[in-house]
Amino acid sequence: MAVATVTHPGFAGHAEEPDQLYVETRELRIQGFLLFMVSDLVLFSSFIFAYLYLRNSGQGWPAGGPKLDIALAAINSIVLFGSGATMHFALENWKHGSFTKFANWIVMTIILGAGFLSGQVLEYIHIGARWDSGIFGASFYTLTGMHGLHVLGGIIYLTVLLLQAAQGKYTYTKYTGLTLGTLYWHFVDVIWVVLFSIFYLL
Amino acid sequence: MEANVAHVERILAIFFGIVVFFVAVIALRNDWKSQGIENQVFKIMLGLLALGAILGILAALGILIGKGVA
Repeated sequence: MAVATVTHPGFAGHAEEPDQLYVETRELRIQGFLLFMVSDLVLFSSFIFAYLYLRNSGQGWPAGGPKLDIALAAINSIVLFGSGATMHFALENWKHGSFTKFANWIVMTIILGAGFLSGQVLEYIHIGARWDSGIFGASFYTLTGMHGLHVLGGIIYLTVLLLQAAQGKYTYTKYTGLTLGTLYWHFVDVIWVVLFSIFYLL
Repeated sequence: MEANVAHVERILAIFFGIVVFFVAVIALRNDWKSQGIENQVFKIMLGLLALGAILGILAALGILIGKGVA
């Protein structure tokens, strides 16, 4: 992939061991981020359970509603899950000291994330339902829209991480920010596993 | 035309789904002995990623399809 090789301080000469403050705060930062993810999980869970309750209390589902495109949803889901794999490779390559490979994989992750969003827009165009056209439309657009915003946020987040890494903010012994970015991206993937299941497979 | 596009989408989903599944399983196996809270979360998420890939493959094959889905 055509990504410029950047020599940055993380690999050029900063091979220092993490300082005491970094070691002491690293676990706290990760735990704090995990708490944020749990709170986000609660938000999604609330909407998911509301959707399932409404779905099971109605007569027939979706009553006169749209037909979802399973082929598009399947390939779109695989694109997002694939981005989880590329993000994993990005972090692994950082751990092994290869900035160029890290940059390549994170750019691939961003491209796949953007591809997923494009697929989602395509689904919105063809679904034939509006957000105000009934319970199904409201639930579908709320949940997938909320997830889409998380993906968009993730793309921005990963772009910032890539720029920070290129500027030498992280070293191969101090990269908590990159770990948190990977956690966030996996979280977005995992939420889609649930949404894909409830909208397309149930 | 639309049927052809859907056919291609299904084939791509199955192929790349298998790739993603194996990548997730291999990554999970490599990370299995790693320590630390973030690595424990990574393991859970890689497992769910593999599950998601299987669901995507089954959906593309037409084995798992919900109500109101074409």
